[in-house]
Amino acid sequence: MKVFSSACTFNYSWEEVSTANWRKYCPWNDKSTHVVGVDTLSRTIDSRTGILRTERLITCSQSVPQWVSSLFGGDATSHVYEVSYVDPVSKKVTMSSSNLTWSNVLNVRETVIYKPSVSNPASITDFNQEAKITALCGGWQKIKNKVEEASVERFSQNAIRGREGFEAVLEMSRRVFSEQRELNKEKLQI
Amino acid sequence: MAASLAPECNEIKEKYDTCFLKWYSEKYLRGNTSSNECEELFSKYKACLSKTLKEKGIDTMLDDVRKGNKELDAEFLKR
Repeated sequence: MKVFSSACTFNYSWEEVSTANWRKYCPWNDKSTHVVGVDTLSRTIDSRTGILRTERLITCSQSVPQWVSSLFGGDATSHVYEVSYVDPVSKKVTMSSSNLTWSNVLNVRETVIYKPSVSNPASITDFNQEAKITALCGGWQKIKNKVEEASVERFSQNAIRGREGFEAVLEMSRRVFSEQRELNKEKLQI
Repeated sequence: MAASLAPECNEIKEKYDTCFLKWYSEKYLRGNTSSNECEELFSKYKACLSKTLKEKGIDTMLDDVRKGNKELDAEFLKR
């Protein structure tokens, strides 16, 4: 097993980040073009805690490096299952994703947490990401290591692109929301 | 908003996503966690999507992954 982890902060409130997170993979994000579909499968609110639980299916066009797919076969489309929990009281978003495609060869389990930063909870949000990558193909340890290394490499590239893309979504969301507020204000004055 | 895996569901998905985002930012995050007024749109969207999930065999993959994910609810559906 190999572990990839990263952390960063976004200069936006937790409310803005958790809202924009739902459309992280929209056309405003031109960096995560490997994501071609995002479908919501289920959504429930826990009556006791108010925690919002969502299941989504993420469809990607790029799955694994060419040499891996030529080893194991398969097409270029892959699916990821994501379950997320939003706790509006303690202000925490937890997302856990695992791969559906290739799951007999490779297990990738990613956990992402968004919460208000301790230093400036009103306007900065902490982002923590951890991925555990395990190659399951039986036999040669050498091949397993190679598969895990290639996956970590691909994962870290996508993580950087994902962050850049999400910054663009956050910026656009703030702009659109403030324009909407201005419009509403004008309407009220008329 | 991102597209659907099933192109024929894009229109209803777009309506549902817009409804959800409005509810999430204007109500849910402001403490009104009791209702979700987008339920009707969501049912239609789910009905549209289920056909493709079956055709592509994704529904059985989902059943498998859900089995291994039970401990997540135990950990994260509490405070």
